[in-house]
Order: sequence, then structure tokens, then C-alpha cells
Amino acid sequence: MPRAKTWGFLAVVLSAGLFGLIVFSVFIINYHDFSLFNSINLSDLNSLTYYSVSIPLAVVSLFVLCTGFWIGWVILTIKVVPPMPEIAEKKDNSRIKAGLLCLVSAFLIVLLLYGIYKRSFWALAVPSLVISIVVLGAVFWIGMAIITTRSTLLVNKK
Amino acid sequence: MRVLILGYRGNPYCGGQGIYIYNLSRELAGLGVYVDVMAGPPYPDPVDEWAGFYPVENTNIWGVRTKYIPYDKLTRLYSPWNFLDFILTRLRIFPEMETFSFRSFFALEKILKQKRYDIIHDVQSLGWCTVPMKGYGIPIVTTVHHPLTKDRESDLAGNFGLWDKVTTILFYPLVMQGFVIRRIDRVITSFREGVDELVKAFRVRKERVSVVYNGIDVNLFQNTGESREDDALLFVGNTDDSKKGISYLLEAMSMLPEEVTLTIVDDGPPAKFTATKLIEKYGLGHRVRFTGKVDYDKLVSLYSRKTMLVMSSLFEGFGLPAVEAMSCKTPVVVTSAGALKEVVTGECGVIVPPKDPVALKDGIMKLLRSKTLREKMGRNGRKRVEENFSWQVAAEKTLEVYRDVIRKYRSRR
Repeated sequence: MPRAKTWGFLAVVLSAGLFGLIVFSVFIINYHDFSLFNSINLSDLNSLTYYSVSIPLAVVSLFVLCTGFWIGWVILTIKVVPPMPEIAEKKDNSRIKAGLLCLVSAFLIVLLLYGIYKRSFWALAVPSLVISIVVLGAVFWIGMAIITTRSTLLVNKK
Repeated sequence: MRVLILGYRGNPYCGGQGIYIYNLSRELAGLGVYVDVMAGPPYPDPVDEWAGFYPVENTNIWGVRTKYIPYDKLTRLYSPWNFLDFILTRLRIFPEMETFSFRSFFALEKILKQKRYDIIHDVQSLGWCTVPMKGYGIPIVTTVHHPLTKDRESDLAGNFGLWDKVTTILFYPLVMQGFVIRRIDRVITSFREGVDELVKAFRVRKERVSVVYNGIDVNLFQNTGESREDDALLFVGNTDDSKKGISYLLEAMSMLPEEVTLTIVDDGPPAKFTATKLIEKYGLGHRVRFTGKVDYDKLVSLYSRKTMLVMSSLFEGFGLPAVEAMSCKTPVVVTSAGALKEVVTGECGVIVPPKDPVALKDGIMKLLRSKTLREKMGRNGRKRVEENFSWQVAAEKTLEVYRDVIRKYRSRR
């Protein structure tokens, strides 16, 4: 097996394993009582400890959410040259959806900031989970592509 | 003087920056400047005769589905910058400019252990890491032919639905470019109105913007001596780009005499449909022909054979086809949009207001009626190009900008 394929295989196994571990440790172990997460008290943590974890997470999350808001805002407010004839004839409700995107993003931004201020476990857990899944998903996806792509051309039997 | 030119894509056939880097580096070297080029793939045609070349890796995987990424690229995706490229491209973000800036920043750190540069010339990448590059103590200039806000507006005009618009907005890194461009020592743009465009789009300070016209290869774009066709119009440009205003030209065509034909240098159906639909609408099928993409020899031949070039643009950052046509002694009919009114004068072409098919028709008719006027304008056009738009002139003007920036930079320190 070529070396790259070995790495691809390892990446798939590792990312799938870690993803399974996340699902198991978060959802399966605690399936009988999710409310116990609510009782986790981060107030006991030293402020420096808490903010050294929460601020980087908040920055990444805010970056993503603000991007969502900004995209919606651009669509709502931008003035462009008249659209192509075939576009102008169709009914485009993207401005309504863009407005919703702005509202949802703004709501999530407020929720995140409030959660971090109140030291809620969920304000740290949800962004961490999403970021981890995106990174692991990318590692898995590349690994699968390496494994399933032919590294050499097929031999022409003729 | 020692100059480092940076460009995230170096190939002449995938965007203007490749042509710009190749020709500018050659002409600067001809003026006695020591030039190095650092560029991402596709790499430029060999520049080793006159410049040092430092290749910077990039996977170029935007818009390529994961299963179609070539195997050799897939195996490189776990390196940090390539992995970032991968994640961002899957989120429909175009990351080449930002990752190029990070890669070139670290590559430059190693190069600077062995040599120094007097100035760094970034060719419209404007990635985040161009700003910390100033920490190396070298002034930085950048070339921006026109702000990407114009391209984004044009794309948004052709988008339908939220998803199309979201992906367009994600594609253009305007926040990054706006942040970086305000911190660059000097911005070079290719037309005077571009200064206001840059101020409007990115809030750049006016005194930090210099105008240097682009160049073309005046030896390549020369009249071939082939006989001119009568009543034959030529359009060169992307018909799907609403900035090119093809709808106005085709409307003008519908008002012109039957014997007037139009050759479009671009793909027609099945690759592109915007123009085709309009051709059907105006019943011009028998008078309009698509050539598809053509090589330089064919393009020069087309410029030399057709009666005139028409540009119906709503915006142009330079108007390369007009300059190329003028260089081939071909008269032009252009709109006054963007750079066109600076590039073309009344002595070498007819200038009409944009979005006005009647004025466009009148301008074309004016030239069709008088062969003497066409020939005179053709000669004037060639003269104007040689005097203002050759790469040698562009390099000399750029060198003046370098000297001014270096002088001001050193006087501050």
C-alpha cells in the first residue's frame, strides 16, 4: 500500500474514532439525563482559567456568526446593476431569507455572549462540538478521498 | 534597486495578474532593476532569463469536488495551509489570496536571511499576512486594477436565490482586502477614475493611490496586413459578465442594417447562454458568430480583419480589448464607462454613453459610413498605444512610483 494511502487510512480511522468518542461521551453515556449538563458549575473556575478557554472559542464562534449576519446584511442592502433579463423575470425571495439570516445570526450572537457572560456550560460546549466536528469531518473526508482515489492509471491490457 | 513581485497566480492564461507579472518583471529588469518573482500556481512562463523565481505552493482546489481532486494534491492536503485551504474551499470561500499571503510571509522570512529588497510589489492578492510583512522593514506597494466590489456586484446581478448570493459574497474576500489595502504604502491602479473607485470601495486615502496605465505587448499586437472585412463588428469579452453590457450591443445590432455582422470572441452555447437568449430574442442568429476562446495569433488576426471593435461595457478597470484593437490599427466604439474614456480618445475611436443602445448604434454607423475616418482613427490608435500603453512605459511609470514610495518610506524612518 502506498504511504499516502496508509496515512489516509489512519486519518479515516482516527477521525471516525474521535467522532464516535464524542457521540458516545456526550450523547450515549448521558442519554438518561441530559439535565446534568445544566448543573455543571463553571462559576467555581478561576476567572483567568474560564476566560482563557471561553474567549478563543467565542472569537471563532463570533467570527462565523458575524459572517452570517454580514452576508445577510449585504444581500439586504446592496444596490447592484439591473439583473440579467432572465433573472429579472423570476420572483426572487432571497431578501426575505437574508433578513431571516440576519435575525437568526443576531439572536445566536446575543445568546452566545449572554451564555459566556453567565458562564453557561452550553456556551462553551456547543461551539467546541461544532468546531471539532468540522475539523474531524474534513480529516475524514480527505482520508476517504485518498483511499478511494486511484493513485496510478489503470494498466491498458491491450 | 531590488524588487520582489508577489502574485498568488502566475500563469498568463488564468487571469490578468500572470500577464502583468511576466511583462512587468521583464521590462523592469530591462531598466536595470534586480527583480525576483514569488508566485503561486499555475506558475508563470519561465522568467529566469531576467528574474529569480520562488514558487509558492497552492492547491487550486476551489470549485473542485473532493472526489475529483487529483491524487497528488489529495496527499498534500494534511499540511497546515493546504488543510486550511481545503476547509475554506468546502465552505465556498476563495482562500488562495489569504493562504498565499501566509505562505509568502514565511517563505520571505527565509529569503531575507540571504538577501534584501528595497520594495515589495504585491499584485492584487492583499491577503491578511501582507500587513505583518511590513514588519520586515520593506515598503509594500500593491496593484489593484479595479476593486472586486465591481465584480461582486456584477455576479450578484446574475444570481438567483439566497444560496447563489451567499456563495458569491463568500467568494470575494472584500473585508480582508479592505483591511489590508488601507495599510499598504501605495496602491497602483490602472485608471484615474479607479482612484475614486478605490476610495469608495475600501476607504483608501487618495494620496496613497497612484495611476499607472497597464501595458500590452505592442510587438505582438500589430496589424497583420490582412484585408479588412466590411460591416464586420468584433466583441471580445465574457458575455456572461453583466459588466460587459452585451445586451446593449445586441439591442444596437437589431437596429443596424442587415449586412452588419458581429463576431464574439467568447464561448457560445452550451457553455454560455446569456448572449444566445438575447440573440434569439432579437432574431440575430444569422448575423452573430461565436469563435470560442482563441490564441493570440488568431486574436491579432481578428483585430486586423474586422471593421471595428465594439465595447458596450458598464464598467472597465482598463479595457484591454480596446487597447489591443487600437494597437492593431483597428478603430473602436466604446462606452465612457470606467477606464475606457481615459484609454480611448476621440481621435482613435467613438465614445458613447453606457446603457444606451441607440447611441451605440449611432457610433457604429458613424464609423461604418467613413472608411477614411476608420483608417485615420486606426493610425491614431496605434500611435496612442505605443506612447502610453506599452509595457516599457508601464514599467517606467511603475519604477517612478517605487522611487517615490522608497524615498518617503526612508524619510519617515
